[in-house]
Amino acid sequence: MKSGAKHEPALLYVIAWLVLVLLTGVSLWTAFLGLGMYAPVVEFGIAATQAAIIFILFMRLKGPPSLKWLFAGSGFLWLLFLYGLSTTDYATRQGWPS
Amino acid sequence: MRSLQPEIQYATLSQQGETAQLGMWVFIATETLFFGALIFTYFIYRDAYPKEFAEAGKDAVLWCGSVNVGLLLTSSLTMVLAIDAAADGRRRHLKNWLLATAGLGIAFVCVKGVEWCLDFAHHDVPSINFIMKPAEALAGELFWVFYFIATPLHALHLLIGLGLILYMLWRVRRGDLTPAYYAPLEVVGLYWSFVDTVWIFLYPCIYLVGRS
Repeated sequence: MKSGAKHEPALLYVIAWLVLVLLTGVSLWTAFLGLGMYAPVVEFGIAATQAAIIFILFMRLKGPPSLKWLFAGSGFLWLLFLYGLSTTDYATRQGWPS
Repeated sequence: MRSLQPEIQYATLSQQGETAQLGMWVFIATETLFFGALIFTYFIYRDAYPKEFAEAGKDAVLWCGSVNVGLLLTSSLTMVLAIDAAADGRRRHLKNWLLATAGLGIAFVCVKGVEWCLDFAHHDVPSINFIMKPAEALAGELFWVFYFIATPLHALHLLIGLGLILYMLWRVRRGDLTPAYYAPLEVVGLYWSFVDTVWIFLYPCIYLVGRS
C-alpha cells in the first residue's frame, strides 16, 4: 500500500502476544477464585484490555491515517448508545424477569 | 511483479489504500454493533438468571474455549507479521506467515467441531437433544441458545476470513502484493484480528461463567 505507516519491530508484536496469552491465563485463573458478582467485571475488564492491545498494535490504530480513530471510535460510540439506552429500559421495567 | 496503477478515482496508490482501510473500519463498526447487541442480550439474561446461567455454563468445554483463544491470538500475531513481510517485500516470509495464519484458523475450526460434538454428546443442543439439568431450570436452555447462535456466527466469520487469506495467498502467487501496494492484505488483517477480538469477549461469556 505504502500507507506511510512505520511498522513496529517484530519483537514488540511478540511481546504483545505474550501479554495477551498471559492475560488469558489471568482471566482463567480469576474465574476459579470465587469472586462472585465481581467476577464478570474482572473477566470483561481483562477482555477489554486485550481488545485494546489488539486494536492498537495488531490492527494498527497506532499510525496514519489518524482518521482511523474516528471510524473505529464511531462503532464504540453507537455501541455505548445501544448499551446505555437498553440498560435504562431493562433497569426501569417492572417485574423483570417475569 | 506487476506495475500497479491506482484506480481512476484515486490520485495515488496511498490514497487508494487508506480509503480501503477506512472502509474496513466502517464495516468493523457495524460488526461491533452486531456482536455487541448479541452479547447485550446475554448480559440481560445472565443478570436475570445468574444461578441458572452459572449452572448451564459448567457444561461448556473449557479446554476447547481456552485452546481456541490461544490459537486465535497466535493467528493475529502471524497475520501482522505477514503484513510486515509484505511491506518489506519478503515474499517467502509473507507466504509462510499467511499459511501459518490459515493453519491456525483451520485448527480453531477443528477444535470447535470437536466441541460441538461433545456438546451434542452431553445433550446440550436446544431443540435437538437438550436435556435440562435439575439445577439449571428452564433458563439454562437460554444459555445454550445463546451459545448455539454466537459460536456458529463467529465460526462463519472465521470461515470467511479463511477464504480471504486463501485469496491473499493466490494474489501473493500472482505477484499482486508488493511493498508499493499491499492494502488488500492490511484490510484482511483488520478483519481477521476483529474476529479474534470477538472470541476474546465470547470466552468469558461462555466458558468462565460457570467456574466461579
